Amino acid sequence: MNIVVLVKQVPDTYSERKLADADHTLDRDSADAVLDEINERAVEEALQLQATHGGEVTVVCVGPDRATDAIRKALSMGADKAVHVSDAALHGSDAIATAKVLAKAVGTVEGVDLVLAGNEATDGRVGALPAMVAELLGLPALTHARKVEVDGSTVKVERETDEGVFFLEASLPAVISVNEKINEPRYPSFKGIMAAKKKPVSTLAIGDLGVDAGEVGLGGSWTQVTEAAPKPPRAAGQRVEDEGDGGVKVAEYLVGQKLI
Amino acid sequence: MSFTESEERQALRSAVADFGARYGHEYFNAKARAGEKTTELWTEAGKLGYLGVAVPEEFGGGGGGIGDLAAVCEELAAVGCPMLLMVVSPAICATVIARFGTEAQKQQWLPGFADGTLKMAFAITEPDAGSNSHRLSTSIRREGEEWVLNGRKYYISGVDEVDAVLVVARHVDDKGQRLLPSLMIVPTDAPGFEFQPIEMDIVSPEKQFTLFFDEVRLPADALVGSPDAGIGQLFAGLNPERIMAASFSTGLARFAMAKATDYARTRKVWDTPIGAHQGLAHPLAHCAVQIELARLMTQKAAALYDSGQDKAAGEAANMAKYAAAEAAKDTVDQAIQVHGGNGLATEYGLGALLGATRVGRIAPVSREMILNFVSQHTLKLPRSY
Repeated sequence: MNIVVLVKQVPDTYSERKLADADHTLDRDSADAVLDEINERAVEEALQLQATHGGEVTVVCVGPDRATDAIRKALSMGADKAVHVSDAALHGSDAIATAKVLAKAVGTVEGVDLVLAGNEATDGRVGALPAMVAELLGLPALTHARKVEVDGSTVKVERETDEGVFFLEASLPAVISVNEKINEPRYPSFKGIMAAKKKPVSTLAIGDLGVDAGEVGLGGSWTQVTEAAPKPPRAAGQRVEDEGDGGVKVAEYLVGQKLI
Repeated sequence: MSFTESEERQALRSAVADFGARYGHEYFNAKARAGEKTTELWTEAGKLGYLGVAVPEEFGGGGGGIGDLAAVCEELAAVGCPMLLMVVSPAICATVIARFGTEAQKQQWLPGFADGTLKMAFAITEPDAGSNSHRLSTSIRREGEEWVLNGRKYYISGVDEVDAVLVVARHVDDKGQRLLPSLMIVPTDAPGFEFQPIEMDIVSPEKQFTLFFDEVRLPADALVGSPDAGIGQLFAGLNPERIMAASFSTGLARFAMAKATDYARTRKVWDTPIGAHQGLAHPLAHCAVQIELARLMTQKAAALYDSGQDKAAGEAANMAKYAAAEAAKDTVDQAIQVHGGNGLATEYGLGALLGATRVGRIAPVSREMILNFVSQHTLKLPRSY
C-alpha cells in the first residue's frame, strides 16, 4: 500500500511567532522551524500501516527551501522518499492555493492508495486543507481520525470531533486527516537519522507541476489578510486573600464571568 | 575546517533532546531518591540506537564515532537525565572491545552494546594506587586454560546494574613480579567476586562500589585482545571516557543554565526581573562563555579521536574534561545563587546537582592530575612525582 503523508514546517510553538509587517505573512526568521507535531503523528500512522500492509511512504511538502529540515525529520522517522515543492511564487498562498499545489504534487507519486495529513497545522490553524486536497483529487475525505484501519481496499476510521465520535468507512484511495489522539509518534533512531540523508527527495517548482503562478501566492489567493494585531498581553490576575471565604470569592468571580 | 556539526549530528542532538525531555529531571531525581534505576530510559534509548551510535555497523551499532555518543550523553544531561553509565559502558568498554577484542569477543559483546541490552562497568581505581596505574595491585595469573584474578577496586560505578565488569589487572609471573596490565571481562556473578556499595552524598541512580576478587577463575577468552597488548589499549578507552565525562558536565551545565536564566527572566523582587541586574547577569554570562569553550574543546577532542589521532586527542580530552567540570561547577553554583533560597529547595532540582557536578572535578581523573599532564606534556615542565 503506497501512502503519501502531507507535512508542513511550522514555527516552533514554544517560540514567539510573528507576522511580517509588509504583507502579514509568517515572519519565518522570527522563530525556530520544526516539523509540525501533528504531522509526526501522520507519519507515524503511515509507518504503522506500512509495517502491516507494505508499500512505500512518501512525504509531500510545500514550503521554502529550509522546509528540507522538516522533510528530513519525517524521513529519519522512516518514510522512504519525499517530494518537496519549493517556489518563490508560492509565498503568501492561502489554503486553497496550497491545496491545488499539494494535489498536483500528490499526483506525481505513482499508485497512491492513501493520503494522510494532520487535521490542523499549529500555525495557520485553518484545518480545511485535507478536505480541500481530497476534493481536488476527487477522493473521499475522512477527517479528524483517532483510529485508522485498512482492510483490503476499504478503510475504516473513527472520527472524533466536539460533536462526538463517528464511524466512517470508505474505499481506497482516500484522504485521511489525523488528530492528536491517533498515536504517539516515534523518535528518529540513530540509523534512521543516518539513512535520511541518502533517501531521495525530488524538489519541484510549480512549473514542474503545471501550476500557473497566477493561481498561487499572495496574488492568486482567494483570501487576503488585511490587518493583523498581536494578541494583547494577558492582564494581571485578580488576587483574593483567603479569610475563610476564599471558596465563596472564587465562586463569585466565576459567576461574574458567567462561567458558572 | 568547520565549526558546525554535521546535519546528522544536529538531528541526533535534537531527537535525543526531545526523547530525554519526556523523562526529564523530575523523573531522574525521583528514581535516584527512591534508590531505583532509570531502566526505562536506558532501555528505550538503547532501542533507538542512541547508546550504540559508536558501535560498528556490522555488530548492529550506528557506525558513528565518540562525537556522536558524546552528543547523546550531553543532550540527555541537558534535559536533566545525566546517564553516568554511558560514560562507562558504551564509551570505555565497547570502545576497548571494538578496537582490541578478538573477533569472537566482538561477536559476543558488541551487539549488546549496540542496543543497550548489555551493560558493563569499568574498574581501574584501587585504594592504594589512586591514579597511579603503575601501582595497581589487582593481579591475574595463568593456570592451565584459565585466568585467576585477585585484588580489590573502589569507586566503581553501577556494578549492581551491569552484566559484567571490565577490570584492569596486571599479570604476575611465577616469582610474583608484576608485569603488563590487561583488561579482563568479569561477569558480576563470577564465584569469588563480591561488591559492596559505598554510601555517597550524590543524588544519582548509579551507585559506587568496592569490589573484591578472591581467586576468581575466568575462561581464557575473558582477557580482551592479546595478553601482551599492554597499557596502550587501556588509554584507548580512557580518552573516550574523558570526552564523555566532559559532555556529561557540559550537559549538566546547560541544564543548570537554562534553569537559572528562566528564573532570572521571570523572577521580580522590585520592578525589574532579577536578570536585569548585572550582579546576576554577568556571572551567568561568564558561565555561558565557559560552557561554550568547554563544548568546543570537547567536540575538538572527539573529532581528533574519531580521526585516529590518539595522542592529540589525549591532550584535548584532558583539557575538555577540565574545562567542562569547572564550567559545570561554576554554573550550578551561580544557578543556585540566582534562585536564592529556592536554589536549595528540592522542588527546583539544583541542589541535587551539587554533588553530580562536583564529582566532575575528581573523576575519572582529578583536575590536579590533568594540570600535571598539561604541565608535563604540553608545557614540558619537569614532573614532581
